[in-house]
Amino acid sequence: MKSHDLIIVGAGLSGMRAALEGVRANIDVAIVTKIHPLRSHSCAAQGGINAAVDPRDSWESHAFDTVKGSDYIGDEDAIQIMAREAPIVVLEMDRMGTPFSRVEDGGIAQRAFGGANFDRTCYSADRTGQVLLHTLWEQLVKSKVPVYEECSVQKLVVDGAGHVAGVVALDIKSGEVFGIRGKGVLIATGGYGRVYASTTNATTNTGDGMAIALRAGAPLGDMEFVQFHPTGLRTSGILVTEGARGEGGYLINKDGKRFMDKYAPTKKELASRDVVSRAEQTEILEGRGVNGAIFLDLRHLGRQKIIERLPQIRELAIDLEGVDPIDNPIPVRPTNHYSMGGIRTDKLGFSPLKGLFAAGEAACVSVHGANRLGGNSLLDTIVFGKVTGAAASKYVQDQKLPEFPQGAVKEVEDMIGELLRRPDTGVKPAAVQEELSNALNSYVSVFRTAEIMQKAAEVIPVVRAKFKKISLQDTSRQFNIELVRAIELGHLIDLAESIVKGALARTESRGAHFRNDFPKRDDANWRKHTLAHWDPKKEEVVLSYEPVRTLGIPEYEPKERVY
Amino acid sequence: MSEETYTFRIQRNTPTGNGRFDTRWQEFKVTLPTTSTVLSALEEIKARQDGTLTFRQSCRSAICGSCAMRISGRTRLACKTQVGSVARDKVIEVGPQTNQPVLKDLAIDIRPFFERVRRVDPFLKDGPESAKKVTKTAYDQVNQVTQCIMCGCCYSDCTMAEVSPAFLGPAALAKSFRFVSDPREGMKTERLEFLSQPDNMWSCSRCTMCVEVCPKDVKPMEAIVKLRTRGLEKGLRSGVGARHALAFHEDIQQNGDLNEFTLMMRSVGLGGTLAELGSALHLMKKGKIPSPFPHKAEKLGELRKIYDILEKNPLDVETKAAEIVPE
Ligand SMILES: Cc1cc2nc3c(=O)[nH]c(=O)nc-3n(C[C@H](O)[C@H](O)[C@H](O)COP(=O)(O)OP(=O)(O)OC[C@H]3O[C@@H](n4cnc5c(N)ncnc54)[C@H](O)[C@@H]3O)c2cc1C
Ligand code: FES
Repeated sequence: MKSHDLIIVGAGLSGMRAALEGVRANIDVAIVTKIHPLRSHSCAAQGGINAAVDPRDSWESHAFDTVKGSDYIGDEDAIQIMAREAPIVVLEMDRMGTPFSRVEDGGIAQRAFGGANFDRTCYSADRTGQVLLHTLWEQLVKSKVPVYEECSVQKLVVDGAGHVAGVVALDIKSGEVFGIRGKGVLIATGGYGRVYASTTNATTNTGDGMAIALRAGAPLGDMEFVQFHPTGLRTSGILVTEGARGEGGYLINKDGKRFMDKYAPTKKELASRDVVSRAEQTEILEGRGVNGAIFLDLRHLGRQKIIERLPQIRELAIDLEGVDPIDNPIPVRPTNHYSMGGIRTDKLGFSPLKGLFAAGEAACVSVHGANRLGGNSLLDTIVFGKVTGAAASKYVQDQKLPEFPQGAVKEVEDMIGELLRRPDTGVKPAAVQEELSNALNSYVSVFRTAEIMQKAAEVIPVVRAKFKKISLQDTSRQFNIELVRAIELGHLIDLAESIVKGALARTESRGAHFRNDFPKRDDANWRKHTLAHWDPKKEEVVLSYEPVRTLGIPEYEPKERVY
Repeated sequence: MSEETYTFRIQRNTPTGNGRFDTRWQEFKVTLPTTSTVLSALEEIKARQDGTLTFRQSCRSAICGSCAMRISGRTRLACKTQVGSVARDKVIEVGPQTNQPVLKDLAIDIRPFFERVRRVDPFLKDGPESAKKVTKTAYDQVNQVTQCIMCGCCYSDCTMAEVSPAFLGPAALAKSFRFVSDPREGMKTERLEFLSQPDNMWSCSRCTMCVEVCPKDVKPMEAIVKLRTRGLEKGLRSGVGARHALAFHEDIQQNGDLNEFTLMMRSVGLGGTLAELGSALHLMKKGKIPSPFPHKAEKLGELRKIYDILEKNPLDVETKAAEIVPE
């Protein structure tokens, strides 16, 4: 059986950045990824990455904005690490070759993003994620890190003493199931956008790592906090970056009127995302939208600026919505975008399960709390890719290779074999996924109430029962995408259950979690993290809570959030 | 939004072992708005008609590079292509990328493509040629080529790759230009030396196919031309490609016409010419060997003027990219 000191699952920004720390520490590190590294969804990030690189700005100010943005349940120790490391990691990326946009004197250009007191977002036109991702891949090639490409991890293996012992993966290309032994596993599998029918996320964003960790005994943190981005394209959900508003774009309703001054008098279009999304949804619900959308108006920026700063946005609007933003406003609406929740870790990325680490969108460190600021997620992936990569590399150096339990590979092989051999039941996985993701879209969205969310809670056991009966048309081994998606559907159901249960239980409004039936933030009872655990006996998700990691700094004390 | 019923003719490739395939064409009918993408049509077919249909996709927004495939006669991103724009009599033909081994249906084996990219050392190197400071316009060239998402459209439709699998190909060459044109790169000359070797930058036939099919406006062939110019400037003139280009240039400048009789000799040298003697005799029999005496074009003065203009306005290979011209 193959074996490495550290196995990194996922080759997005966080996974690749972590691998470079393994190389630096001179350990045997390998990456397993279900899609080629360059296909990872980090490539879709458009707007930019926050860092106080300007001498007039400070990491303290960045940390403060982040604490406030998190609606006071971000963990303050981790937030400080992130804000402090930000300029360092951005300059490192610059040295590795990322072509950041520049200002006249050669310094890195920065733009305004929501919820920030300074124009702090470093960017490369409107394809920041893509250039960062390609840069890290270049470094990965240079360092010759072994990569198991198009291999999907199915199971996190834990030994008798409760220590992680490796993973079991499916080589999608050949259909072979194989085990990899390791002294530690770092999960960097990104978000779970596909739980929602309309999302800015890729089809491969199915939160596998979170679900696999949950089943292996690690808790997930704050799953009820789901970010809705104010500007997803109406039909496809594809993102239009916040950078478009950062460059001066307006939001207008069907009467062509700007409306954000009603909801956020100072910051207007650049209030934090939860605030803007709710404002849009209110406009739509009160009849001032068109076919479920309002509009992003860039016309006044002029042709030149649109072409220079937002070229990709223009292409996407033309290709996918049939609208050239130079001439017409773009129809947009709040769309599922980002998962604040994930595998619960401490400030260095250690999960409570020994030998398991997590970084990036798959993790809940938690630097984002109840609401992530734009530009802070790319930063999170690179800072905690680095921090956790280094911590995990150090950890495995003192470990012996755990015993890989007999039967772990066979268990996965049997599960897959059974699924492939199952006679036609007429229950298609694609249909079951639609049912699940439509329910989340309709019932656990921007505005929530117990009554409405209850409907989603009722759908989940139904979907779970159907999932047990699905059958596949593709029964072959090689490159069986239907099989891969069916397995992913199982993950989505576990994650949906964690989201719905967490949201129903949290009887307050905070950040992205807004309840019409409990419209106020309730710090006395709810300034705490939700933990979701898998109960193997009951075969369901159960909840517990833990306190926020605070530092006792007066400015970080909860206040009303106004923008 | 108007809807239409389209017929998708899809190439199905079922692996039967030992790298062999059972290949057939299958038709599916789908009703969609004309502005839907080919990718959503394929997803629709997979979800509701045939779960075995296999293709790669991920981002749905032309940025991850997963979904390149042959659509109505050329390689395109399925997620960027509207059905209405490629249908002929409401039929859309879809197959896997060419010039590369197939895995299953529309999915190809991407490893050989990335192997070529790896050959150019795709990472920034420190060295004597690194600039210390960058300016606002320093990346104008870099920005054009870093738009590349490594989807493989250019390689799939490359006419040179079709006849010469050893050719490095447009994407790898554009990637190489990404470093050669970066002021921070320290080993520009070493890279150009590598690129001057056979099967690299001089093997492109400049058919412009890669420029036409690239979904991200990378213009690989322009990058290749700029690499060649920089190579020549660095005095890398001894390879066949470089010698051919220089001989070509010499003829045109002096006579306004090619002396094809001596061109070969000047490009591949005596040994190379002798090796091709067999084909030369064959061509001679067919009357295809040109006259050995140089022919002078009329109005050479006009040509000189063109040269003058070009020499006064050289192709800027160092910094400024072509302005992004609004259409
Ligand atoms: C459209 C869009 C725009 C965004 N724009 C911005 C922005 O401007 N600024 C910002 O800060 N943030 C932005 N974000 C958020 C940010 O891009 C993401 O949160 C971040 O890139 C996630 O990176 P990651 O490394 O955690 O995961 P990803 O990049 O998603 O990578 C996940 C990796 O995990 C692998 N994987 C998944 N499951 C498995 C499995 N079972 N086995 C093996 N491998 C697996 C995948 O192959 C992939 O390599 C944006 C997000 C979206 C969707
Ligand atoms: S799906 Fe990503 S490029 Fe088409």
